Amino acid sequence: MMIIEGTVVKKYGDDINTDYIIPAYLLQESWDPQFFADHAFERYDPTFVSACRANKNNVIVAGNNFGCGSSREQAVYAIKNNDVVAVVAQSFPDIFFRNSLNNKLLPVQVKDTSSIAVGDRLIINLEKGLVEDLSTTKKHEILGAQNLVQRISKGDALDYARARLRAKLRETANQV
Amino acid sequence: MGYTITEKIVSRALGKKVVAGELVEALPVDKLYFNEVIGPPAILGYKRNFAEVYAEAGRRIKVFDASRVSFMPDHTVPSCSVMVSSGVRVMSEFAKEQGIAMYKEGDGIEHTIASEEGFVLPGEIAVATDSHTCTQGALGALAFGIGTTEAEHLLATGELYSFTVPETVKFEVHGELQKGVYPKDLILHILGLMGEGGCSKKVAEYMGSTIRAMDMDGRFTMCNLSVEMSARTAIINPDEKTISHVSSALAAKSLTLGAEEEKRITTSDADAQFAETVSVDASSVEPTVSLPHSPANAKPVSEVNDEINVVFIGSCANARKSDLAEAAKVLKGRRIHPSVSLTVIPASRKVYNWAMVNGLLSVFAEAGANIESSNCGPCFGKHMGVLAPGDRCMSTSNRNYKGRMGSPDAFIYLGSPALAAATALEGRIADPRKYLGGQP
Repeated sequence: MMIIEGTVVKKYGDDINTDYIIPAYLLQESWDPQFFADHAFERYDPTFVSACRANKNNVIVAGNNFGCGSSREQAVYAIKNNDVVAVVAQSFPDIFFRNSLNNKLLPVQVKDTSSIAVGDRLIINLEKGLVEDLSTTKKHEILGAQNLVQRISKGDALDYARARLRAKLRETANQV
Repeated sequence: MGYTITEKIVSRALGKKVVAGELVEALPVDKLYFNEVIGPPAILGYKRNFAEVYAEAGRRIKVFDASRVSFMPDHTVPSCSVMVSSGVRVMSEFAKEQGIAMYKEGDGIEHTIASEEGFVLPGEIAVATDSHTCTQGALGALAFGIGTTEAEHLLATGELYSFTVPETVKFEVHGELQKGVYPKDLILHILGLMGEGGCSKKVAEYMGSTIRAMDMDGRFTMCNLSVEMSARTAIINPDEKTISHVSSALAAKSLTLGAEEEKRITTSDADAQFAETVSVDASSVEPTVSLPHSPANAKPVSEVNDEINVVFIGSCANARKSDLAEAAKVLKGRRIHPSVSLTVIPASRKVYNWAMVNGLLSVFAEAGANIESSNCGPCFGKHMGVLAPGDRCMSTSNRNYKGRMGSPDAFIYLGSPALAAATALEGRIADPRKYLGGQP
């Protein structure tokens, strides 16, 4: 996950909220992540799903505050399960950022996404802390790259939680 | 150097001093609650992902501490679909198996119940699977929304992983709110100042004479809408009003604050470090409306006159006692405009029953309102008044995103309950002050 190559499938502006990514009326209608992928952006950008399915290793590019609003993790399933490998945006609110990492959707923060266009080939190199746009040859510094590397190198969040649970069960083994 | 209330609460939970910016490996959480949207997949995921760990240890599946978990089905209840009903069943079976308290459909909106029932207390860390968990900040608790995966981990261990102690933006709010101007107007005004991303990753801490004078209902509203400027959460230093609120909630269940619980109550130090200070003059705030399609698109009511055909008074933002009381003052003895459909949904069964005993439900019914049992209602576009293309809705809720309440070709405006009531009377956005004896 340290070096990812992808193609920009869609570019959005500021304040894309999770209601735009997956409308709330659908949330209770399935417990299957793929269901949410089928309905991704359905009221905001009905061409999103078909555009993603025409490609592999999709990247979404956006302005500020991508994923604001509701805490629904289904927004991440909706994006991730359309073969989107990363979202490159100028900022992310905390809940969406955490939900993304927990589902191995890479939230990449750069200062200015204005030069990146749909169709651009991007190489996201976390070790170098750079997003290279092969189409424009521009390089964008990844903000907080070290923090991202640290989070990812700790491994899967579920493995960590399982290890914590194992430790707690051992601690209380004699109390049962 | 002093500490913010946020730093102090996290430090207490960890048993060591931490400051904003520090990364906390494992944050122990005091309270965890679930609605029926995320509860069912989180329960199923928890069982699927942790069953083998319990089996290896020769233990049965058991959540970290059932007494600190609560289930509050509230979004589309009484259930509006087979899947919703199935989800509620997943929750009630798990609650029974684990000994978790579960509220009934119609008992109220989670964020209202959590404070009304004394489930969340000042100084605690509370998380729930909903972004408006920040509402509990009005109690002086550190409370925020989490995703499904984190909720699964929390059920297992009671811990949140890789938590960054957030910085705080201090909002110094001074001056008296004019008659007919409410905490809702104040927070919409603040959202307008800050923008949708204006408080991103930081805690919004409200202080100043306006906040001290504000009742708890108003403080809940302020904290509730803070996530609309992407705040990590919001918080208000507890004072005598907070303690009185919490004490009466506990007294209703023949409980009192224990010594340990009292010790957790804390406030920001006078010399705490803030990332930024924003000063707001509350006395100059007018009744305020957020126009489509952003909660931060706030304008004084004097600049807005748009036609409205749907009015919703309800939601976790504004459907507590004082909210309904203000709406009833405007509607009393009057009939809503012939082209308007008005839906009123009290935030909890307690509020509903109080409104019934005190004659407010009669005022709404005689005015021509539909009154529904307590739940989130049409706020997120699934039931009880889904908007059609072309509908123009005034809502007391917190989000007016395109498509939020139904068709993406509808238009949603946000305002206070009094403003929404005045709007229902006139069929267009109206200043409530003319119905309240204030100065428009």
